[in-house]
Amino acid sequence: MRILRYIGRRILFVIPQLFGIILVSFFLVKLIPGDPAVMMLGPTASAKSLMELRDRMGFTKPLLTQLMHYLHDVVRGDLGTSWQTTQPVTEDLFQRFPATLELISFGLLLAILIGFPLGVAAARLKRGPIRKFADYYGLLAGAMPDFWLALVLIYVFYTTLNWIPAPLGRIDMAVLPPEIITGSMVIDSLIAGDMDALWSSFGHLVLPVLTLGLINAGPILKMTQSTVERTLDSDFVRYADMCGLPRRVVLRQAVRAALPSIITIVSVLYGFLIGGAVLVEIVFSWGGAGQYAVQGVLNADLNPVLGFVVFSAVLSLIIYLLVDLLYFALDPRTRA
Amino acid sequence: MTGVPAAGSAILEVSDLWVGFPSYREQTLHALKGIDLRIEAGEMIGLVGESGSGKTTLARAIMGLVPPPGVIERGRVLFNGRDLSAQSDAARRSVLGRELTMVIPNPRAELNPVLSVGRQISNIAFYHLGVSRQEADRIALDMLRAVHIPDPERRFNAYPHELSGGMAQRVVIAIALVCSPRLVISDDATSGLDVTVQAQVLDLLQTMVREKGAATLFITRDIAITAHFCSRIAIIYAGEVVEIADRRRFFARPGHPYSIMLLAAFSHNPALRARWTRAEEIAGATPSTGCAFASRCVRRQTRCLNEAPSLRPLASGHAVRCHFPVEAQA
Ligand SMILES: Nc1ncnc2c1ncn2[C@@H]1O[C@H](COP(=O)(O)OP(=O)(O)OP(=O)(O)O)[C@@H](O)[C@H]1O
Ligand code: SF4
Ligand SMILES: [Mg+2]
Repeated sequence: MRILRYIGRRILFVIPQLFGIILVSFFLVKLIPGDPAVMMLGPTASAKSLMELRDRMGFTKPLLTQLMHYLHDVVRGDLGTSWQTTQPVTEDLFQRFPATLELISFGLLLAILIGFPLGVAAARLKRGPIRKFADYYGLLAGAMPDFWLALVLIYVFYTTLNWIPAPLGRIDMAVLPPEIITGSMVIDSLIAGDMDALWSSFGHLVLPVLTLGLINAGPILKMTQSTVERTLDSDFVRYADMCGLPRRVVLRQAVRAALPSIITIVSVLYGFLIGGAVLVEIVFSWGGAGQYAVQGVLNADLNPVLGFVVFSAVLSLIIYLLVDLLYFALDPRTRA
Repeated sequence: MTGVPAAGSAILEVSDLWVGFPSYREQTLHALKGIDLRIEAGEMIGLVGESGSGKTTLARAIMGLVPPPGVIERGRVLFNGRDLSAQSDAARRSVLGRELTMVIPNPRAELNPVLSVGRQISNIAFYHLGVSRQEADRIALDMLRAVHIPDPERRFNAYPHELSGGMAQRVVIAIALVCSPRLVISDDATSGLDVTVQAQVLDLLQTMVREKGAATLFITRDIAITAHFCSRIAIIYAGEVVEIADRRRFFARPGHPYSIMLLAAFSHNPALRARWTRAEEIAGATPSTGCAFASRCVRRQTRCLNEAPSLRPLASGHAVRCHFPVEAQA
């Protein structure tokens, strides 16, 4: 019951939060240099037609009026059109967000698979090769730019070894993509039982996921290591040791106590990567939402940028709500 | 084994135990300096000393778990004939929590915050007694009943933060006694509770320990508590046992100036208190050669500064570490 009340309250808060986010990003986006009218009509357009276009798009009105118009549309689910794709932004984003989410979901999953066990092992063994490796790994992953690692991986696995298809998009041009169900091309191919599509989409997914996984395993490893180290040092673990509980049971309890912090870092990374994976998207021509937003910024196409912000905000809010629910499930103290 | 009677079968034998905490900057801190202590099966012994005197360090050393960077420098501890510090981690774990258990002072911080208390008792039974999970749960419920937790079926599923301090302390007692141990170490177990609850919990601990026939090492800073149920009293000061005696003898004829100072602190007679408490301590008056208590002692003489006293028998079952013990008082 408490949980339902809590969710209700959270959802109520989402509305002012979203409003604030739109407000701030609206004015920030308006600061982007470049005249959309010039971009659309080209450098040879006459002053008169430029004026007309600006007028038609509402750019001559005061900013506040423009904002009111935008909000008015957003409330009805209309995020405007992109002049580059000439499509409604909502439609564009619904096409591109699944690509980004597939990429960062699998990327983070791999990051957890690497970072979590390594972090636990490093926390347990205060010295020795595993600890050393974890220390260097954390340092290296923190220092290495993701796009650079992506290029190295492409050079090794595509250019040199040729194990992997060309880093262009999510699936071979020649292969028919599966029917969209979850939005993840790999999972959808699996559901459709389409082996060609599965093989091709998997091949395209490997390197970008490896890139994101290897880089983001760093912070997950560090967070796991430091929190598990702290819980292993805590009063209740010392007491469990004095009670002679088996070592593995005590370790399990310590890791369990560290889970909230680990979930937090994963959720923060997830929220960050929605926009933060854009360089990896670009390197692999992924056609994701981040890439779409950057194209918008570069071409003074403002609706895609704002639309991306709104989508990311909603998604982040959903993620944080899920995280809070996980806390509820994990820690009885939050339920009291 | 100076001055300690050797009768019955010892469950615990501490002989000449030195524990030190090495430090990079300063000299090694010797938390325990040659402790001798023998506990007979089923006996209840009180260990009294002020903060920092080494009580917890002794408890940890008995369990074979001297906290790092501490090391046993000399001597040994035999629990039931075995030296726990020399055993493998797994072998030690099979003794701790089953034959040798601990009652801790601050249960709401030391119980696992995300496990129900019933589960935590049940875990001990499950891992130590080799019973099924259902059986362990049943035993745990019985224990909750035995330590007089009201509405035990419901409380079984409560989390530590949902219990009062006194109730959490009862849970810890249940954990300590669920496997019918040979020795229970209670370290400052009731210091966080208010006086009435403290008395109830102490009563319970005493009854439960008697029922199970366990020996008890009852560690406290409060000498008054020991008067009620310990059969012997040991006073520890700066890592040394300075006096040890049967309860009657101790409270009737305390011999060490420090013991008398502790007792006088509880007296309603301010003159008595003043007589046994040195007005101001003398800085640097505790040379490494002399008596550790010299700087605070009202009976100090020149000899005390030059020669460290040893623990000498004063009467049968009564030993004092003092050059000038207080002999039979009126
Ligand atoms: N982990 C440690 N590292 C360094 N020194 C320590 C450590 N644990 C204890 N000591 C030192 O050993 C001495 C004895 O400490 P101990 O905790 O045994 O005292 P205590 O009698 O239990 O005190 P209290 O009544 O406050 O619990 C103290 O001087 C303390 O500073
Ligand atoms: S030896 Fe001397 S200083 Fe030490 S307790 Fe006895 S009388 Fe006091
Ligand atoms: Mg202590």
